[in-house]
Amino acid sequence: MLIAEPAPAPTERRPRLVEIDRLPRSILIGGGLVLVVVLVAILGDLLAPFPYDQQHYLDTNLPPGGPYRFGTDEYGRDVLSRVLVGSRVSLAYGVGASLLSLLIGVPLGLWAGYKGGRVDEVLMRVLDLMMSIPPLLLGLLVLAVTPPALWKTILAIAVITAPSAARIVRSVALGLKGEEFVQAAQARGESERYTVFREILPNAWPAIIVEAGLRVTFGILLGAALSFLGLGAQPPSSDWGLMISEGRASVTIAPWVSIFPGLAMLVTVIGFNLLGGGLRDALDPRIARDYLH
Amino acid sequence: MQSPLLEIDDLCVEFATPRGMLRAVDRISLAIAPGEVRGLVGESGSGKSTVALSILRLLGPGGRVSGGSIRFRGQDLLRLPEPRLRELRGNRIAIVFQDPLTSLTPSLRIGEQLAETIVTHRRVSRAEAQHMSIELLDQVGIGEPVARARQFPHQFSGGMRQRVSLALALSCNPDLLILDEPTTALDVTIQAQILDLIEQLRDRLLLSVLFITHDLGVIVRICDSVSVLYGGRLVEQGPLARLFQQPLHPYTKGLLASVPTLASDRRGQRLPFIPGRVPDLINAPPGCIFAARCPFVEARCDDPQRLAPAGEQRLAACWKADELGSTAWPLQRPAALAQQRANTAANGSALTVQDLTKDYTLTGFWDSLHVEHTGPWPGLPRIVARPTKLRAVDDVSLTIAPGETLGLVGESGCGKSTLGRAIVGLVQPSAGHIRLDGRAPAAMSRAELRRYRKDVQIIFQNPDSSLNPRMTIRQILARPLELYGLAHGRQIDGRVLSLLETVQLSPAHASRYPHQLSGGEKQRVGIARALAAEPRLIVCDEPISALDVSVRASILNLLQDLKEQFALAYLFIAHDLAVVRHISDRIAVMYRGRIVELGTVDEIFAPPYHPYTQALLSAIPLVDYAERKRRRIHLEGSVVARAPGTSGCNFADRCQWKIGAVCDEVTPPDQPIGPGHWIHCHHELGFLSRLDPTLAPAPASVDVEVDASVRAGGCG
Amino acid sequence: MARYVLKRLVYLVAILWTLTVVIFGITQVLPGNVAKMIVGQFQDPTAIAAIEQKLGLNDPLPLQYWRWFSRVLHGDLGDSLVMQRPITPIVLDAFVNTMSLAVVSIVCVAVVGVALGVLGAVHHGQWSDHVTSLFTFVGISVPEFFWGIVLILLFAGYFKVLPSTGSAAFVDNPSEWLKHLILPVVTVTFTLLAHVARQTRSSMLEVLQTNYVRAARARGLPERVVILRHALRNALLPTITVLTLDLGFLVGEIVVVETVFAYPGFGRLTVYAIQQRDLPLMQACIVSISAIYVLANLIADLLYAYFDPRIRYGAVSA
Repeated sequence: MLIAEPAPAPTERRPRLVEIDRLPRSILIGGGLVLVVVLVAILGDLLAPFPYDQQHYLDTNLPPGGPYRFGTDEYGRDVLSRVLVGSRVSLAYGVGASLLSLLIGVPLGLWAGYKGGRVDEVLMRVLDLMMSIPPLLLGLLVLAVTPPALWKTILAIAVITAPSAARIVRSVALGLKGEEFVQAAQARGESERYTVFREILPNAWPAIIVEAGLRVTFGILLGAALSFLGLGAQPPSSDWGLMISEGRASVTIAPWVSIFPGLAMLVTVIGFNLLGGGLRDALDPRIARDYLH
Repeated sequence: MQSPLLEIDDLCVEFATPRGMLRAVDRISLAIAPGEVRGLVGESGSGKSTVALSILRLLGPGGRVSGGSIRFRGQDLLRLPEPRLRELRGNRIAIVFQDPLTSLTPSLRIGEQLAETIVTHRRVSRAEAQHMSIELLDQVGIGEPVARARQFPHQFSGGMRQRVSLALALSCNPDLLILDEPTTALDVTIQAQILDLIEQLRDRLLLSVLFITHDLGVIVRICDSVSVLYGGRLVEQGPLARLFQQPLHPYTKGLLASVPTLASDRRGQRLPFIPGRVPDLINAPPGCIFAARCPFVEARCDDPQRLAPAGEQRLAACWKADELGSTAWPLQRPAALAQQRANTAANGSALTVQDLTKDYTLTGFWDSLHVEHTGPWPGLPRIVARPTKLRAVDDVSLTIAPGETLGLVGESGCGKSTLGRAIVGLVQPSAGHIRLDGRAPAAMSRAELRRYRKDVQIIFQNPDSSLNPRMTIRQILARPLELYGLAHGRQIDGRVLSLLETVQLSPAHASRYPHQLSGGEKQRVGIARALAAEPRLIVCDEPISALDVSVRASILNLLQDLKEQFALAYLFIAHDLAVVRHISDRIAVMYRGRIVELGTVDEIFAPPYHPYTQALLSAIPLVDYAERKRRRIHLEGSVVARAPGTSGCNFADRCQWKIGAVCDEVTPPDQPIGPGHWIHCHHELGFLSRLDPTLAPAPASVDVEVDASVRAGGCG
Repeated sequence: MARYVLKRLVYLVAILWTLTVVIFGITQVLPGNVAKMIVGQFQDPTAIAAIEQKLGLNDPLPLQYWRWFSRVLHGDLGDSLVMQRPITPIVLDAFVNTMSLAVVSIVCVAVVGVALGVLGAVHHGQWSDHVTSLFTFVGISVPEFFWGIVLILLFAGYFKVLPSTGSAAFVDNPSEWLKHLILPVVTVTFTLLAHVARQTRSSMLEVLQTNYVRAARARGLPERVVILRHALRNALLPTITVLTLDLGFLVGEIVVVETVFAYPGFGRLTVYAIQQRDLPLMQACIVSISAIYVLANLIADLLYAYFDPRIRYGAVSA
């Protein structure tokens, strides 16, 4: 009896999305940096030598050294402690806004991409409109009209970035719609809900995950910019953008007040960029094939 | 013996992959004489394209030549410095690639691309080069060459683009022309035009040609000699006639035996096929690369095989070649049928399609706007919306009886896929009905509609995209069972395993993901998925076109077996006439949305024909050696669907038997010729019966023709 | 092509108009009474009511909008509450300053970015590619205001070579104008340039793998011709798209950078208006910037259509 055997599989278990030991360096380094930042954010209070808002009237604008590892600012606050605690805010901007924007954008994009026709047209026009105001400007506009608060900034960033998420998911959905396995489901008479959630969405995850990663850096940077302009976190918060702004006036006499938060932000963003870029390469179906066996 | 133009010696090419070194080409040697047309035949993974790219050192990143030499007129191309090689490229050796869509630079005009190549290699001025470009376009059969030279590639159709690629290749009168699957992406009648053109050019310019393809029918038509590649190795080589009539290497035997031909009278029966799958070239066995699939295998086959002479001008890489002589590839016994189901053929109702029409609107809102000068106020232009519409399916009526296989043939764009999809419910018709059991889907309740969908299933063409990559095979097969309530809970696993067995896959497949399966295996899963719904009719939309040639026969056999076992009816859509003839009871020929002829297989393949059927039969490259020089009908131009509401015969502009104005103005009737056989034409029966049969009337007696006399005698 | 242009123009008008409505609407939500701001916080309620009446602040919103909109169409952007002057001349001044910054930046970004991208793609895998990749990676990771402060620290603070704030008019003193422009331009271009370079590199790499580039090489064309004539033009199309997207980021960056360098341009004006809650000025600034942005987008789209023969010359003609 001629029965075809499948080619011998090297592993019997379900192939995971990525094989850990074959991951490219970018994911490992990036992931490592991100992990460090997340830990700092969680353990900030414990790690910081001083409370972030504690002022030391006699020790203002001191250079790094002694008990103040990163120096102090014009109010005598310890820069190191403020940088450590400030990581929370930046992560909140980045991760919070990223997740929220996906929460808004992904369902819209999926729905528009799958339905096509009128629904899609209308959504595209609305998205065009939203994207026709430059992001920062929109942020300024929205935050100018209400008293600033962290959650409002996060929400604003999420709303600003949701349209591009919707766009990307929409184009993924459009591409998948033409695949024959989706047509097979339609030919079977499957409901729309089944087709979108069980056939299309599982195949859209790689793109969504990559987008999530990339959005985090955008959120962090945009949030910091808004704080820098005074529309994000408010004093005495130790948000990094705010710290840089506060240190600007005295940058020639006490540069460390602006430099350290800036470096912290740089390291964080580099970490997320490496991670996001590495994820994108790993999850790219053309390349993924080699990692999945 | 003349010294060969091109000599490849022990060529080895490797690619670096994350899993290891892949040997794409393993010690291949071949030589091409001046004026010879050599066919290089192989399936995917055989290394044929790699050989072609290596000749011009175009391998790209990751690939490198790890051994051997390639001598052109005595010079080793592999060791030539880059500037010298560049002088040869496009000049003495030219190559045409497979995909006309992507082989031309989109941002440059055609004339410029031609002129630039000429100026690079020859000492002519720009103006002269432009003049020569226009002449070249004319030579390859492009009308209005002056205007066309100023156009961009996207403004040309596929066939036209391939002509341009040919013009580019021939612009500097090369000695050797390499064609890498030049017609694979084209329609049959366009393919015939291009092959005609290549033949003419070859005769006129005395070229040597290396013709690379997997299509045996094309090889038969145009080549003098053939080299057969498998798994990166050369397994057989010889003159065309001898190789086809008496293949020596088991792989060649298997390949030729498994392809349905018109001469074979095995219609409706099982085909011999090659079991197994294409070898893994990263861990290639040191012995015979074909051993794993060979029915003649013995212990000695584990030793490395060498290419040895076996007869006049013939080579074969099999130590058993002489011994096997003209032993044919064995026909495997039918698989013991897993389960005998009650024969439900007695269920007498058929699928009826009546006056089915489907229109598509091509242009969006903005593109539909036109400025017109007619209107209530003369002289005042106004803007109107005139969307461009196409009629993909034009007034089609047919019936499929239970247990019957209706073949649907036509070229791409003729509407056969649309028709198939309309029957399955993926496409809503613009007019007409489809009835199963006398009920039309529009009139059905939800439960009845669900039953209709269950009873009418579809198998898709492309195994790579017809299975959800994120589901296991078990999940894929379980879904129809759940959806239609055919099994619940624990029963599902059992049913899945029995389905796998029915399509001859082992239970180990159930836990795998699609990307771990080969093309043939994936297609079997697609078939199993359709079967899971226990249907009465399955629409097979080009189910084997995307598969390797060696795998097709086994899938065809499977479809055949299933049909008998489960009393299924098939609508078998394909463009390969020999395959359709093999599996169908009746055939419908479709052209530009309309069925132009419908009848039993014998009726279709002999006059009286519809003129399009006649032309199609003459254009399709058949693997029958006796048919290689049959008379061909040349169809010019290409096919585009019509706008709705156009009257007149849709074939009138290409028909060589056109009567006159009546063909343009009046839509022809569907003339009944016999019971169940009709032809859509104005000509009367007598005329159509007297048309030349384009095919030999009976399996011709094969006589071995010496190549020289065939060449001297010219084309048929 | 004509249809494409027509379509884009119609969208342009629709979007611009909707924008004005949206912006006007949002700013009306501003808490804090405008009238109070003019007269002073603690004035007599009747005086406040009188001002409200005079400014028409009690009229229904659509009417207020219409009044404002028709004035804008006539070029009258109203009066600044804080500065007590007509807005239009202020805006025009700021516009000129910002435009010089923006135009110089875009040119730098386009030229240097594309060049770096092509270089990286052509020397794929070699050390020059790695260096450029590193450089651009840092570029997309660093916040521009931080980078600006670093530059100020170095060049104005430490080396004392360039001024850190303000600007000078071109017509009065070209070299001063240039000096004031250098640091802001470098700041703005650094991040955008990285973005463009990466996109160019990746689309160039993609194009270099295409069939038509391979076919061009197969015809024996010199490598220089293959890269410049066959590859680059097609690789530039996605780059134009990216440059278009970058316009949005450019606007954002300019706002921030002008604040860092106290450069008297549009961005700084907008931030000032927001911080001061100067409603008419805020409206005027945001609407103007958005309008310019939308227009720039249109130009970019038309540019893209011009360079892509598929759009310019339409579809297949058998």
